[in-house]
Amino acid sequence: MATTIATISLTSSDLLSSALAFSQTNPLNTAGSATGLTLTSGLARTTTIYGTSATIESTTLYRSDDALTNGANKIYLKNMSAIAAEYYTVFIDQEEMGRLYAGDWAFFPWSATAGTKETFIVTATGTVAAGDSWEFDGITTTSTSAVLATFATQVDNQHFPNWTTTRSGAIVTFVARHAREDGVITGDAAITGDVLYDAAGSNFTMPITGGTAGAGSRSESDIMIIPSVHTTMTLEHMLFHQ
Amino acid sequence: MATTATITLSSADIAGDPVNVSKTMTCTKAGTTTDLDQSTGLNRVHLRSVTNKVLLAANAEGNDLAAKVYIINKATDPTLYVTITINAQTIGKLYAGDWMFIPWSQTDVAADIEVAATSWTASTGDIPVEYALFHEDTDLLTNA
Repeated sequence: MATTIATISLTSSDLLSSALAFSQTNPLNTAGSATGLTLTSGLARTTTIYGTSATIESTTLYRSDDALTNGANKIYLKNMSAIAAEYYTVFIDQEEMGRLYAGDWAFFPWSATAGTKETFIVTATGTVAAGDSWEFDGITTTSTSAVLATFATQVDNQHFPNWTTTRSGAIVTFVARHAREDGVITGDAAITGDVLYDAAGSNFTMPITGGTAGAGSRSESDIMIIPSVHTTMTLEHMLFHQ
Repeated sequence: MATTATITLSSADIAGDPVNVSKTMTCTKAGTTTDLDQSTGLNRVHLRSVTNKVLLAANAEGNDLAAKVYIINKATDPTLYVTITINAQTIGKLYAGDWMFIPWSQTDVAADIEVAATSWTASTGDIPVEYALFHEDTDLLTNA
């Protein structure tokens, strides 16, 4: 168990007729417990810069997949700019939370409401031959044998950029790395973008045979920022999470 | 009329090297170096509603202006938490002792900051929450 302490001190000698001064210190614990959070992204910097005529786009700082949904996650942000007019607009999903002006920081809890990761199962069927191949997610797997399970192992050993895999026999289960609504699965019988090459003409196929194809849903609390200017701005940020 | 907010985040063991962050900001009006000059002061409420209640009502006149919100769950039972939302978007849960300090855009009148004593039951007792708003708009009203 780690111990992380968060302290805030708010002071003003002249905002009100009486001095304002209070300080609160609290350990960052996991949800509903006295056990300290043990995971952090570490302190990071994100710099934004756009060409003069370019459209300023949002940048995703943290995906909901990065933390436990409904965990006692905490986010720290700080706009490093020294130019008063420069700010980052902070969004949680589609909702604008606020603007961090130059030098401003924010610290808040984050529910990290994740969506559903699309998943599907493919099964190597028919007769595979050395040289047959299957391409998916930009990765081509070329069979080195005539054994379906061996080919499935080859597929499972690949490092797909957008999917993780597990294998059982000739069956490979794909799970998306990130939750998203508009996945690549169009139904139980087709994968958009996959390419099969049956070199030996042996009726080798890789059909979807199960899973929840098409059932992905988007996350609903990704943290996004938009800078106010095209020129260079930098945000420091850190996530403490379960 | 300088109001300053300082955050310190420290941990000797959450990573291989210590975490030590200490930053101080001066609360200023939007896009300027002029200090914020208005505040609700520190408020305290005792919550027992498991559905959302408005803590700070948004005012569209506050859009594009600077406002900072401080909220703390003053419960001592670690299982008691409150859920913070803006315009039905859940921000997160403040567990006992947890605090937050955020900028608040008030993009429209729907951007209220709401709170629900989600874990409240008749046997837990009310959940005390303290909050303060620092802002710049002379016409900005809250339900504090």
